[in-house]
Parts: sequence; C-alpha cells; structure tokens
Amino acid sequence: MATNKTPEFLPGTLDMLILKTLTRASNHGYGIAQYIQKVSNEALRIGEGSLYPALQRLLVNGWVEAEWGISETGRRVRIYRLTAGGRKQLAREVAEFDYLIAGIARVMEGA
Amino acid sequence: MRLWNRIRFFSARERLDRELADEILAHREMLEERYTREGMTPREAREAAVRQFGSDLSSREQSREEWGFGWLDTVLRDCGFAVRLIRHRPMLTLAAVLTVGLGVGANTAVVSVLQTVLLNPLGLRDSGKVLVATVRLEQLQMRQTPTSGVEFRELSTMTDAFSAVAASEGRTWTILTSGEASRLVGRAVTPDFFRVFGERPRAGRFFTPEDRESVVLSHGLWKAQFGGEDTVIGRVMMLDGQPHRIVGVAPASFRFPVDAQAWTPLVLSPARLRERGNNMNLAIFARLKEGVTPAQAEDRVNRYVAALKSPVDGEARAMAKMGYFVDLEPFAGHVAGDLRRPLWLLWASALAVLFNGCATVAALLLSRVAGRKREMAIRLSLGATRLQILRQLLVESLLLGALGGAFGVLVAAGALSLLTRVSIPGRRLLELVTLDSQLMLYGLALALASGLVFGLAPAVQLLRESQSEAIRRGARHGFQNLFVTAQVAAALMLLVGTGLLLRSFWALQQVRPGFDPAHVGTAYFIKPKDDPGFITRLETRLASSPGVQSSALAFPLPFTSGGLTSRFRIKGRERKSGEPEWHGEAYFVSSGYFPTLRIPLVRGRGISPSDEAQAPVICVIDTNFAERFFPGRDPIGQEIAMYRGWARIEGVVGAIRASTLEKATRPVVYYPLVQVPFFPQAAALVRSNQPAGGLIREAVRQTSASTPVFDERDMEDRISESLGIRRVVAVLVCTFGVICLLLATVGLHGVVAQVVSDRTPEIGLRMALGARPEQILAQFLRRGLVYGGIGIVVGLAGASYAQRWLSGMLYEVKPSDPLTFYSASAGVLLILVLAVLWPARRASRIDPQSVLRYE
Repeated sequence: MATNKTPEFLPGTLDMLILKTLTRASNHGYGIAQYIQKVSNEALRIGEGSLYPALQRLLVNGWVEAEWGISETGRRVRIYRLTAGGRKQLAREVAEFDYLIAGIARVMEGA
Repeated sequence: MRLWNRIRFFSARERLDRELADEILAHREMLEERYTREGMTPREAREAAVRQFGSDLSSREQSREEWGFGWLDTVLRDCGFAVRLIRHRPMLTLAAVLTVGLGVGANTAVVSVLQTVLLNPLGLRDSGKVLVATVRLEQLQMRQTPTSGVEFRELSTMTDAFSAVAASEGRTWTILTSGEASRLVGRAVTPDFFRVFGERPRAGRFFTPEDRESVVLSHGLWKAQFGGEDTVIGRVMMLDGQPHRIVGVAPASFRFPVDAQAWTPLVLSPARLRERGNNMNLAIFARLKEGVTPAQAEDRVNRYVAALKSPVDGEARAMAKMGYFVDLEPFAGHVAGDLRRPLWLLWASALAVLFNGCATVAALLLSRVAGRKREMAIRLSLGATRLQILRQLLVESLLLGALGGAFGVLVAAGALSLLTRVSIPGRRLLELVTLDSQLMLYGLALALASGLVFGLAPAVQLLRESQSEAIRRGARHGFQNLFVTAQVAAALMLLVGTGLLLRSFWALQQVRPGFDPAHVGTAYFIKPKDDPGFITRLETRLASSPGVQSSALAFPLPFTSGGLTSRFRIKGRERKSGEPEWHGEAYFVSSGYFPTLRIPLVRGRGISPSDEAQAPVICVIDTNFAERFFPGRDPIGQEIAMYRGWARIEGVVGAIRASTLEKATRPVVYYPLVQVPFFPQAAALVRSNQPAGGLIREAVRQTSASTPVFDERDMEDRISESLGIRRVVAVLVCTFGVICLLLATVGLHGVVAQVVSDRTPEIGLRMALGARPEQILAQFLRRGLVYGGIGIVVGLAGASYAQRWLSGMLYEVKPSDPLTFYSASAGVLLILVLAVLWPARRASRIDPQSVLRYE
C-alpha cells in the first residue's frame, strides 16, 4: 500500500502540512509537493500516491476548495485554496501537534 | 457539510475521476519537466517520475475511496469488474448459473410445498395448537379412522386439556344456479369449529348452538356466487331444496377443509353422542388449552381410554377388546397425510442437488485458480490488499450466485406450475401452493449463500497461492478431493433411493387389480330425492347410449373412498369368545357391475336385474370373504346381516384390489344398489371403445335435469392417481440423482484433468525416462478411483442409514435391497471410470519431446 519509499510522517501530519502550505498561497498539487520538499530541505518527500488521497479527503471535509486554473508554466491545473473551516482545522491540528511534540520532547530529555 | 459534500462528490464521481486522472497526469508531466531541466534524458525523466510517483492506479483508487460512500463505491466497482470477468468466461458462467439455478429452484419449489402443506398448513393461524382425534382399532388394523359421537362427547368434557373441541362431518348439497344443478361440497360443523382454528368471520357471524337451518359461506363461494357483497348476510340459500339462512362468511385465509365451500351447523342427537364404533363419520378437532402440551393432552385421552376397560360399560369393554385407542395427531400431519414423508424426502434430495452444485462450481472455480494466479500476483504488487482481493473474488461468486438465484426462482415457478397439475391424492392441497415473495427471497438468499460457499474455498486458495513463493497446489487438490468424494457419496445415496423407489413402482405396476379398468369411464352423481325409479331409468338409458358395450351403477367406486367398513353377523353362527368383531367392506352395485369391470364370477350367480328393491335382499361376496368366513364350505345359501337385515349369499366373485394396489382389500360384500338405497350419491361406469367423457353426464341429464354430475374420470386414471405420489417422488428423486451424478462426474473429471495439466512436465520427464503409457494411465486411473471409491463407501454408508426414510414408500422391496445397492454402486463406479479415463488417457499420450522442449 505504501508506495512512497520515504519514511511516513506521523499519521495525520500530511493534512496539516498541506493546510499550512496553503496558508501562504493557493497552489496546485505539484506545487504543494515541491514546496514541502523544498522547505523541509528534502527531508519530507511526499509520495504523490498519498498526496492526492489526502487532497480528496480535505476536499470532502470542506477544508479546501479546488478550481481549475493555469499554472506559471501555462499548464491546466487544479488549484487548491484554504477555506475558513480549513483554517480552523489547521489551528486544531497545530495545537494537537504541539502537544504531541512537547510530550515526545519530554520523554526524550528524560531518557 | 461533510455528508453533503460526500453526496455531491459521489454523484459526480465519474467527472471527478476524470479530473483526478488529468490532475495526476499534469503532476507527472511537471515532474518530468523538472527532471529534464535537471539534465535527464526524456526517457530517464519519465522513468524517474513514475518511480517517484508510485502507482498511478493505486493513488487514484485510494483517492476515490476518500470521496464517495466507500463501500458502495467499491462494491459497484467490484461488481463491474466481476461482470466483465463473467462475460469473458461464458461457459463457466453458464455452468454455474445452471447448477445453482437448478439446485435453488428445486429447493424453493419443495419448500413452497412444505410451507403450505406441512410447516404452516393452509396458512391457518396458530394451527400448531390444533390436534386431530382419530380412532385406532388394533385388532382390525384400522388406523386414523374417523370417530363416532362418543369421542366428541368425551373430548368436549376434557376442559382441563382443550379450550375448544369441534366435530365435522362431510356434506354435499345440490344447488341450482341459473337453472343448472350443481354440487356443493361442505361440512356440517359443531358451533366451536371456527373457534378451534381461532378464526373470525369476514362478514356476519359463525354458528351458535341455537343455529339449525343456517349456512356460513366460504370466501370463494361468497365471491363467486354472491359477488362478495355484504348484503348477502340474512339472505336465504337453497341447499338440497331446503332454505338455509346465510349467517356469515369465512375469511379468505380460512381454507379448511380445502374442498369446503360452505358450512352448516352439525347437531348431534343424544343417541348419536352415545354411539361408539358405529356411524364413524366425524372428524374431531381440538384446540389445546393455554399452557397444555400435546403430550399432556395425549396423556389425558389415554387415561380415558384406559378407564374404559373397567367393567362399567359393556359396549366400551367390547371396543377395548378390539384394541380401541384414540390418537391425537398434530393438525399439520393430518393435512399433509401421505404427502408428509415424500415431501421431506424431496426436500433432502433437493438440498443434495444444491450442495452438489455448489461443490461442482467450487471445483470449477478452483481449477481456474492456476490461471488467475498471475492476475492476483499483479494486483497484489500494485498495492491491492488481501482483503480487497478476497472481497473482489467473493463479489464475483456472489454475482454468479445471484444470477443462479434469479434463474432458480424461474425454475421454481415452472416446477410449481407443473407440480400443482400432477394427479395425486391431495392435489387440491397442492393447488394452494404459491411462490410468494417470501419464498423468492428464500431462494435468492439460498443462492447467495451458495455463492459464498463455493466462492470461499477458491478465493482462500487463490490468495494463498498468489502470496507464497512455493505454490501450494497440494491444498488445492485437497479441497477438490474433498468435494469430489462428497459429491460421489451424495449422488450414490440419491441413486440408491431412486433404485428402490423405481423397483417399488414397477412392482406395483405389475399388480393386477383383479378387474379390467381399461376403457371404463366413470362419474359420480347425486341421486334425486323422491324419485325411486331414477336408478332403473338411468341404467336403461346408459345401456342404450351409443357406443356403450356395458354399463353399471355403483357406490362407492373402486379407488375412490374405499368401501364402507361395516359390522355383520352370520346366521346360525356365534363369534368365538375373544374373536374380534366381524367386519367387511360393503359395495352397492347394479347388475352390470361385474361384467363391466370384468370381475370373474367364481360360484353361483352375480347380481341380476330381478334383484329389485322389493325383492328379498341378497348379496354376493368375494373370494376373500368366502375363504375367511366359509373355509371349506359352500357359502351359497348362507345368510349374513349387514344392511337391511338377513341377506342370502347368491354368488362368489373374484377378489379385487379396490382401494390401493399395495394391499389386498378386506373381505367384500356386494349388495344390489336398489336394495340398499341409503346413500345420497352413486356413480355410473361405462365400458366403451369411444371416449366416455360427457356420455354419462348426458345420460344423467336426460334422465333427470336437476341432477349434478361430478368427478368424471376414467377408471385407469383413478388407479394411476393412487400411484401418483409414488410416481412423482420416483421421477423427482431420479432426476435429482442423475443431476447429482452428472455434477459429480464433471467435478471428478475436472480434478483429474487439473492434476494432469499441473503435472504434464513431470509426466513428460518420466516417459522420457522410460515409463510406459499404460503405467501413466493406471496411475491416474488409480488416483481418480481412490477418491471415487471413498465416495462410494461413504455413500453406501449414508444410504443404508437413510433408507429408513424410505421404508414407508417401498413396495415388495426391502430398504436394504442388495441388488439396488450393488447396481447403483456399479453404475456410479462405471461412470466415474469414464470420467477419469478421459483426462488420464490424455496424460498417457503426452509427447515427452514436446514437453521437454517446452520446459
């Protein structure tokens, strides 16, 4: 099932990363993947096999909206935009993530 | 919001799917562009993009699962996939659909009959609480006979066991509808009759103890004769010319007895309520009191019977000596009567067919496992989960099952319309059998269950084989061997049953009834009242009808209700003490009876036209009677008293089998019809080379216009109807047996063919190393026959266990008849050898060169 060879992130974090990416600007799937890869210094390579299911999930939940548009290179692409609901969801996920990271950090320091 | 989105996405899923594909394609192209920019050749770039991207299909599939109603969508997709596969393998599909269809159809049809006849007899409400009381006289070997008034009186007093008890007695009336005389069949019933069955009237009311000249209409009669109008209540209806007030209408659901069109009040006189062992015409129905079990009720009745042996009542003691018992029977058993055992047998056989069908389809699907391994391996490597593949495979077999089920429902509908036309006793009961929506659902559920059953084994095996490096063919063959063994066993059991039934049937057909039924037409009519000359006038008219060789009048006819069992005395002779009462069967016939049926005269004379109503009463006995009561003596001139005082025996005729072919009839006494004019109906018999249909009706009509004629049938039909149920069961079990054998043959053939093709390289190698074709042939023959042989042994064991179900249906054949067992086994073995020989020969003809080259 897992077709991307890079290690999976913590479950659920992909949604958060996508939402976060979209707070900067609306973008298409390829752009989102490239952005995450670039900003993370190539540490996070998103297998597109999981990118598109994640985008569909966000669409169904109403956290992002999509529209067909033209990319910088003049290609017809679907551009995703964050919705108000998506912004709230991102805040929730960031809070949970911080809590989780703090927990992990405490365990690691204690060890 | 979320749900709404889902619905939106789902309804637009085809467009979305296309868009998604476009989007992914664009993504890939952008990746490629980037790689090219970074200095790869276009080809390297494409490969890198594919690598990076992973499986295009799996990402689309997973994306699709995000929108849409996951399961519904996947099921639809699986169905689409299954439909494609099924269309690409028409032969397999056809085989599976036919097999499942036949099995399910046979089952559904038999269960519909079981439902109407046994499980929920006639659709009556809580009939499980209703018991039927019958009398048994051990010494006379009389069972399940109707009762006299006294049993009704006694059961009515057992209020601790029964909440309601009712008696009913057969009635036929002549009614005039638009000038035409017709016959109405019904029952006279005591007031509680409808309460016993817990029924409420459709209109009006049921009987009260005060009712005398009243009538309750059946729903059918009400609709047919009175247009289903409520205003019918209170109107007067003429039954036999007597006015009867219509007080109520029974509900449509109440169809008991099946032939009853109307009910009138039965008023039992005090004298009749005291009568025991005489006038036994009553059917007694009792409703169990709340909280009383049938066993407790039986106990209560047995206590009463036991008390009869105390020396209070002389007549009762005499009855007790004859082995008098009152039996309580569940209502369902009473309704089903002789049909009960055959129905269960048919049900078991139909299940065997379905089971065999499933096994065959499973074997066929298993033999496809090898072919589909690649497909599954590819799908697994493309990221499909095992569960997804299992689901896909099951959807395929369920779809096959559903198709089979749909076909099966058609088969069942066809079978039922045939079945209800079959001429057997209880045919009227079968006319009520319908295929309702509930039973269709049962059929479909059965089909889907079959799909699951025959799909699971191949699916599991396919997954195992696709997943492991080492191919586990062994297990596949294990499954197949098990199926084949079970199939052979089931087929053999059915064939043994068929053999036994067919042998009984043939034996019965060899039985000569002692008279010549060919070319004899018969029909019953109601004797007009107040017309003493009618019988004689009808006799004359029949005799002079065109084409008639000889004719006669009689009551009752052979192979209808049986003679009237009656007590009699012999002049100048007393019963020895301890000897049971003398009983014979009485028939009332005209002078033409013996010549028309060609019953041989043994001594003295037959019945002559001069034995008129006013002449001294005479009788003719059959050889059975003579041997039993006048051994070594001349019965001519002796006198017996059975009806109308002492009657002189004038002749002896050959004994005939008059009620069933299976058993010799009890001693028979024939009286001249005109001398014992007690019965409201009689029958005419006509021997003619031309079809007698209509001839009797015409003669009766010309003699008296207002006389209804009914039950017109040839004598031969009456006899074959008594064999009908045997024929139906024999034919059906035989059909089921042959189908099973066919399925087992296909199964065994498939298995051996599979083994041969799996081991072709090995065989080629062995032949290259010097093995002879005969050795290869023998090897496969042995292999096939081992499993066939195990099947035969299991089948024989099963058959000898199951033969007890048959015992009641056999005639002059022992259930353990060795000939049948041996020949059925031999037949099965022979067919199995042929089934194995075919692929085994192919194995022995393998050309080692070509095989090795192929390797």
